Amino acid sequence: MPEWARVRSWELLLAVILVGTIAYNATQSPVYLDVDNFVNIFRLSIEKVIVAVAMTFVIVNGEIDLSVASVMAFAACVLAAAHESGVPFGLAIVIALAAAASAGFVQGLVVAKTGISSLVVTLAGLIGFRGAARILLEDRSIGDFPDWFGNLGRDDFLGPLPFALVLFLVLLVVGGVVLHRSAFGRRVYVIGNNADVARYSGIDVARVKLFLFTTSGLVAGVAGVLFAARLGSVRANIGEGFELDIITMVLLGGVSIFGGSGTLLGVALAVCIVLNLRNGLGLANVEANTQTGVIGALLIVSVLAQNLLDRLPLRRREVEAET
Amino acid sequence: MRPHKLMAVMLSLALFGAAACGDDDDTESGGAPEDTGSEGGGAAGEAVTIEGGDDMNAILLPKCTGIAVFDQANEGAQEAAEELGTSEPEFLGPSTCEDPTGQIETMTNAATQGVDAVMISNNAGEQIQSGVDAATDADVAVVSWDSPIPSGEGESLFVAQVDFDETGVVMADMALEILGEDGGQFAILSASPDAANQNAWIAALEEALQDPQYANLELVDTVYGNDDSDESYNQALGLIDSHPDLELIMAPTTVGIAAAGKAMTDEGLCDRVKVSGLGLPDEMRGYTQSGCAPQFALWSFVDLGYLTYYATYGIATGQIEAAEEQTFTAGRMGEYTIEADPTRDDGLRIVMGPFTVYTEENIDE
Repeated sequence: MPEWARVRSWELLLAVILVGTIAYNATQSPVYLDVDNFVNIFRLSIEKVIVAVAMTFVIVNGEIDLSVASVMAFAACVLAAAHESGVPFGLAIVIALAAAASAGFVQGLVVAKTGISSLVVTLAGLIGFRGAARILLEDRSIGDFPDWFGNLGRDDFLGPLPFALVLFLVLLVVGGVVLHRSAFGRRVYVIGNNADVARYSGIDVARVKLFLFTTSGLVAGVAGVLFAARLGSVRANIGEGFELDIITMVLLGGVSIFGGSGTLLGVALAVCIVLNLRNGLGLANVEANTQTGVIGALLIVSVLAQNLLDRLPLRRREVEAET
Repeated sequence: MRPHKLMAVMLSLALFGAAACGDDDDTESGGAPEDTGSEGGGAAGEAVTIEGGDDMNAILLPKCTGIAVFDQANEGAQEAAEELGTSEPEFLGPSTCEDPTGQIETMTNAATQGVDAVMISNNAGEQIQSGVDAATDADVAVVSWDSPIPSGEGESLFVAQVDFDETGVVMADMALEILGEDGGQFAILSASPDAANQNAWIAALEEALQDPQYANLELVDTVYGNDDSDESYNQALGLIDSHPDLELIMAPTTVGIAAAGKAMTDEGLCDRVKVSGLGLPDEMRGYTQSGCAPQFALWSFVDLGYLTYYATYGIATGQIEAAEEQTFTAGRMGEYTIEADPTRDDGLRIVMGPFTVYTEENIDE
């Protein structure tokens, strides 16, 4: 089975799961299909799904970024600390985003130049930037942001859509075009498939990786700032453990953890599945622990299914070869 | 509570217009050295007896699930629901106390579901506001218990377990009893930095310490264990390392005090560093008997859940109004009067009370 057909069949499977989830939820709760509820589904997790878009690029590239949640918190804490010390709020946002991008840049530099596994480098980032966030705010909770900033997180921006959701849709479209329709996107796949081959064919692997990690940091920073706007106050421990939820969505989307395959469409479908499932379970008053268990089971089943899809045609080919 | 006693209590409450009352099983135990129920303000108007009849779909939202005192509050709420003949309240909350976004999610979902009421012990500080706003927009009655909405906005009523200022005095008194007249250094091990109740109690303790009688008590540090046993345990040990002269850890949270008691016991430090604060007798018995936690205080969480359910039911069914001087009778708990909450700029409260201080003498009762 050619690669494109495998990918298509995976997304088809996701689409079926999504339709099934939505249909099941609709029978469970009469309010599930309300427009407001659909907006809430995204509003309550928007920071994670924004980061998932950038994470898709990183994983397709054959790397991983475990530091995203810590960078989110770091950016939010930089914003809060700058605001507290009297920096104008617009400038404080710029400083926070710059700090997050630098965090990504530094990690990207280490990965690209030293060849140390990104798993190790960004694990250090996960610990280090969380630590930096804690140093900045200690145990305090800082709020009192300007009204317009709080409204940005809560109010509707375009029709019923809040700002963060509009931003996510824009990122998804831009990301889709870049990943699947541009020369840069093709380079990301080639490197993810085989970095050595990419290098021999003249691709500046280090530069692509540096760019992706910096972008991942910047997007995590944007998510952190949006998180601060939605919550209205910031603490050093916000978003703890988000990196696993984000990676779960990307892997469920059919992106191979070894790099080189997967599509943003798949990730978008996976995001919708996870969020709808959570929301449906929440509306059906299912406990938080059970919700986590169901999503974990879904990931395992889907990865198994993915493996089966991979192997079945292979076996058939082997059988054909023998006969 | 036996019927004749209930009548006597209700009669005396009606006479004095007091807002506080307690369940005798837990609180009027003989050896209790202090029984410090607080007086509510406001004259008793005509008391409305809250009665069943209408159905109420409600969610009881604790700071997080898996904590004994919240399970007890749930027990009380279920008991009240049964008495009133309404649907059992759903007990839903985040699985850890560290992440406040779970509470926002449950609150927002409640608004979408259009339940009649949410009873919340707020662990998200100001961050809960977006969820509360969504709930009030959907005509969901929001009543807080244990830990209030700081702004009071969107919240009908706060069911306070005890008077918050008094919590500070009770903790200062226990510290003085344990450390003696000579005093010494002590530190606070709290829950999460966004927990409105713990923050108010710590502020009240600091305020109480201004009194000259506590002049020798020196508060050297405040740390946060996020109501997680492991984290609280490590924070307690961290306090010992950073303050070699520390003599007492004061934990205004049941998770924190038990973790501190275990940490001191495990490390064999009980002779040097004592533990006190707010704790559950069942969890603290061993530490009190060993002398590690000579005394600690608490109120009944079963009663708190029960009273909260009654008050919420009264508001959601329109039997009472969430307004100052509204007086009502809540089943076996007796009569309460709604008053302005002096611990917040805005907001209404009722005070349950009283405290029981547990020592070696009364821990087994």
